[in-house]
Amino acid sequence: MELSAILDILIAGIVRGGLFVMMALGLSIIFGVMNIPNFAHGEFYMIGAYVAYFANAVYGLNPILSIVLAALGGFCFGALIEKTAFSTLRRRSEGNWVMNSFLLTAGISIMLQNIAQAIMGVKYMGIRNYWEGNINILPNVSISIDRFAAFTIAMVTVLLFWAFLNKTKTGNSIRAVSENESGAMLVGINLDKVFSLTFALGAMLAAIAGAALLSINPAYPTIGLAPLYKSWYVVILVGMGNIWGTIIGGFIVGLIEAFSYYNLGAGWQDVVSLIIIMIILALKPSGLFGKSVKGVWDR
Amino acid sequence: MTNNQLYLSKYRNLSNSKFIKMLGISPLGIILFIILAIAPLFMNNQYILHLYASSLMFGALAMGFDFTAGFINIVNFGYAAFVGVGAYTAALLVINLGISPWLGIVAGALVSSVLGFFTGFLTLRLRGMFAALMAWFLGITLMSLASNLVDLTRGQLGLNVPMIFTTTDKTPYVYTILVIMAIGYVSFRKITSSNIGLAFRAIGQDIEAAHSSGVDSTKYKVFNFTVSCFFAGLIGGFYGFFVGILTPAMMHTRVTVEILVLAYIGGRGSLWGSLLAALLIIPIFEYLKPMMEIRLVIYGLLLVLVMIFYPGGLAQLYQNILDLFKTKSVSER
Repeated sequence: MELSAILDILIAGIVRGGLFVMMALGLSIIFGVMNIPNFAHGEFYMIGAYVAYFANAVYGLNPILSIVLAALGGFCFGALIEKTAFSTLRRRSEGNWVMNSFLLTAGISIMLQNIAQAIMGVKYMGIRNYWEGNINILPNVSISIDRFAAFTIAMVTVLLFWAFLNKTKTGNSIRAVSENESGAMLVGINLDKVFSLTFALGAMLAAIAGAALLSINPAYPTIGLAPLYKSWYVVILVGMGNIWGTIIGGFIVGLIEAFSYYNLGAGWQDVVSLIIIMIILALKPSGLFGKSVKGVWDR
Repeated sequence: MTNNQLYLSKYRNLSNSKFIKMLGISPLGIILFIILAIAPLFMNNQYILHLYASSLMFGALAMGFDFTAGFINIVNFGYAAFVGVGAYTAALLVINLGISPWLGIVAGALVSSVLGFFTGFLTLRLRGMFAALMAWFLGITLMSLASNLVDLTRGQLGLNVPMIFTTTDKTPYVYTILVIMAIGYVSFRKITSSNIGLAFRAIGQDIEAAHSSGVDSTKYKVFNFTVSCFFAGLIGGFYGFFVGILTPAMMHTRVTVEILVLAYIGGRGSLWGSLLAALLIIPIFEYLKPMMEIRLVIYGLLLVLVMIFYPGGLAQLYQNILDLFKTKSVSER
């Protein structure tokens, strides 16, 4: 392999990884705080992609504004679904919350996918690019501005999200709930509010990923399945409830994917991923950076 | 009536009830099975027979799914892939080695159960969600293998499978799947009403309590998973010969979710509920086909509503109706 080819793969892997980080972070925060294994996470990715498409390609809005609108759309959808479905289930739940909420998200996923298909039809809705042109990193290694922008957006979002969780009062209350629900309630944190906010934020992260990648992956009703699979893969690989682990894991998965795709082709790429995760689960069931399998997985 | 005759009829009653007990089905269940077996005689339309066989097949699949989901509370999210492994194994053996389709179906079931055993062995030591997600990953991988090993499976073009029966009549297929379904139902009932079934329920309801009562949960979970995968492979083998073409899409997550919805609408842990749900929902959805996506939205909505408001599904409905009659008869007194 030539050096420039290796660099190309590295760049592709890191750019993909950045988006996996964002998706996986949303998944991880929803699971960590609310104990919901979200199977409908990919549908928020889809919603983000559609909103960005309409904003940018149909109404001709500025790319940044389109992505912000997509983020808002994801946030609102997330809040709506939490308020209607999950808060109702929470009030009626009689144990077995993890499995029941998982199946609930599966139902929501079918609904959202098919509503999208009924409204939009089965056609790809994509754009050629947000911004034209390439940036030369080295003399013969270049990256399109779009990919670079997608990566930058992902990193800025992750950074802002981290700052929000650690530096603001609301962010701290989310972390408190994820650590100890009843303790958080005792010190006067409004659980309902925190749950709705967490779910909406998680959905927002997925929507931003969908919007940022619109020029590479056009919007499509079932587009969410692949990112959903990858982000769950990241979460299992690194173990739960570890933001830094998720970030590193996202890049690892992006690089594994890019290298195995280049060397083995699309079919075997999945086999490589499966073998890697099987080995890790056999040797260290809590994931690469996880401390223990106990905790949230137990409920 | 002579003494001898009296003795004979008594003996017959006894043996009948023993036989029924041995099958583990209530008399009502036997009657319903007989109705299911007679029903095809009144269907003179091939299309309806085909629909009936599909409903029975999905009912049987949902039943096998329920055997894991409803008892040990683990969602096998790669279920459709295990069905697909059975289907492809059976079809490839018949096409390439020319063995009998019946042998092929059994071989498919065995391969699927071996795969299920290893998956279970690796993941069921961990908590439920791990097993669900790993089975899902396995399913995705198997599907991409089926679409990429073009030399073997013909990929997206689809693998043409020879028919088992030489006639174009669907009736033999209906009876084949009916027998498979009945075997599955009786074996599941036998297993779940034994001590093993007790252990399953203990694990499904409270795994900590099961552990402290000395239940080796991993052993039972792996056993359950393997049996369920065997059954999935068995039906998968039949599916290939029934439909006549296999495409990787049959292993898609979507198919698993469709089966899952049937099992949960039927009522988890009831087994018969899955069959009833399939017999109700599959034909209705077939007639709603012109509605395209809307019917799938309804499908998703049904799952959401059942999960939130009626977690027991049709089985709970049946129980509630029975209770209604009981309280009525008590108040009448």
